[in-house]
Amino acid sequence: MTEFRSDWLSKSVAGSVFGFTLAIAVAGLFAVAGPGGLEARNKYQFVMWLVAPIWLCVASLVFFFRSGRAALLWLGGANLLAFGGLYLCRRLLH
Amino acid sequence: MRGEILRLYKSVHTWTGLVTGMLLFICFYAGALTIFSEPLAHWASPPTGGSISVEDADRLIETTLAARPEAAKDFTLRLATASEPARLSWRKSRNDDVVWSATLGADGELRVDRSNVSGVGAFVDTIHRTAGLPLDRETGTTAMGVVSAVYAVALISGLILVLPSLAKDLLALRLTTNLKRMWLDAHNLVGVASFPFHLVIALTAVVFGLHEPIYDALDHVVYDGRLPTIMRSTGPFAGVKRDEQKAPMKTVAELVAVVVSASPNFSPTSLHYRDADTRGALVRVIGEDPRFLSRGGGFAVVRGATAEVVNVDYLPEKQSGWTAAVSPFFALHFGSYGGEPVRWAYFSLGLAGAFLFYSGNLLWIESRRRTARRHGEKVVQTTAARLMAAASIGVCLGCVCALSFAIVSTKWLYGHVEDVDAWRRGIYHAVFFGALAFALVRGAARAGVELACVAALGALALPVTSAVAWAAPGLGPWAAADPESAGVDIVGLIAALCFAALARATARRAERGPTDSVWSAREASRSARSPLSSNGCAVAVGADAGDDIHG
Repeated sequence: MTEFRSDWLSKSVAGSVFGFTLAIAVAGLFAVAGPGGLEARNKYQFVMWLVAPIWLCVASLVFFFRSGRAALLWLGGANLLAFGGLYLCRRLLH
Repeated sequence: MRGEILRLYKSVHTWTGLVTGMLLFICFYAGALTIFSEPLAHWASPPTGGSISVEDADRLIETTLAARPEAAKDFTLRLATASEPARLSWRKSRNDDVVWSATLGADGELRVDRSNVSGVGAFVDTIHRTAGLPLDRETGTTAMGVVSAVYAVALISGLILVLPSLAKDLLALRLTTNLKRMWLDAHNLVGVASFPFHLVIALTAVVFGLHEPIYDALDHVVYDGRLPTIMRSTGPFAGVKRDEQKAPMKTVAELVAVVVSASPNFSPTSLHYRDADTRGALVRVIGEDPRFLSRGGGFAVVRGATAEVVNVDYLPEKQSGWTAAVSPFFALHFGSYGGEPVRWAYFSLGLAGAFLFYSGNLLWIESRRRTARRHGEKVVQTTAARLMAAASIGVCLGCVCALSFAIVSTKWLYGHVEDVDAWRRGIYHAVFFGALAFALVRGAARAGVELACVAALGALALPVTSAVAWAAPGLGPWAAADPESAGVDIVGLIAALCFAALARATARRAERGPTDSVWSAREASRSARSPLSSNGCAVAVGADAGDDIHG
């Protein structure tokens, strides 16, 4: 078990930047693959509202990561997965 | 490891809170006032008199459009209320900030002037959205969207901090002589008790401030640039083509009736016309239905020429699907549900929020306090702590004073200057920055007392203005005897008493409290005295400092 590092700067950047991109990707997944698909009436508003809670949860909970490096790696990985899924869904569904 | 995580979260909470606290104080204080912006605007608007029957609304539209044809493209008709006649307002073009308004006088004569009526409400709302930053409304709102995101992080990190000892500490308000402990308990109690409120406010404020960048990002990444098209095709006006051919409009009463028959508890307050007097005319019938969580009211879209209902997606009772999923967030931010009790609850929660941020700053100062016991009797507080204390006093009390004077000035300036709004903004900024500079120069201890006195005077100025209007009608302000205006005066009087009590308590602390604190006014004068008299002080300090937690 490695020791806990504060790394407040790298964790903040990881949380606010990767948290935002992750939130966009997850909201996008919901928009593309969720009920009603991309063009359901007024769904885009709900999709936009999804972004803020996901982003802010990541940005506030990011400090639990053991180190700034771990935060960047995990969130970077989550981003890759989410954007990969988004790309796949769009190829498959549209 | 758990201790280390909590320590990191403590600094996250401290710094995010410190950076946003003062701006949020302004937003929350002004936000609490916006809950009652209608009575405030009513208090500050000149009596209009004139006719208030529904039939006159049609005549108002007709005569205004005859005199000012440019209004036909886009205007709003505010329906008459018990105390106000119907009013028509428009702007000459989309980019023009000046709002014109027209009413019918008691004699049936059309009166057109620059609108200052919704002025006070809109002014307080702008301060609420932009924290009174001297930026334009859009930029200020976006900036506060970013601040709100930081505030959300401060909020969640604060919850993480209190969670481990929640059961033990929550209901313990230790009113002991240990001041820091007491402030901490009060801060935690208010914070945890109103946590759901703050979470909703933070989340919605982020969306209100940053929805455009978020939509842009989604448009690029998810919608391939088709988002604007999707928005238009499902928007409330979708499916109706513009048609410039002339056509008579249905009467106001008919347009209102068709919406009310679709949703009987909906009470329309205003009608927004687009392309009036053409076949493609659309009217948004806007109103309220406090039984539902909706976006601060709601609206239905009706064809002006046929009174056929086009869209009910935003009518509180009829909203469905995705619109219904989003509307509660608006309602939970605005407190626009449940009527009066909820409004008063939001007013109190807003003020409690302002207290939360103020007490957070106090805690920061208190935990950096240099005590006489540790640092010797001639202790001087750190520059950071003194600046922080002065800035907190200057910003918080400055905003309180500035809002009172700006609101009161409306009543004195009306009729004397042309652009009341510009004057009001000028007065707000002059008082606010004046108070901030004063506090920084004078120090927190003295400025705290003096600015609290000014805040009391500012609040007292509301009932005094009304009293002057009664006693000396020639001076300018007009008298208003209705219960709504009287309510504003009473709240002003109560606020004045509260600020006076605050001034007294602060003065007592500055005079008699421990000298090893930023809140002591004796700190500076003491160093100028002879060593002999400072011995006398040291005895008094020793007696007080025994309660200090740093000891």
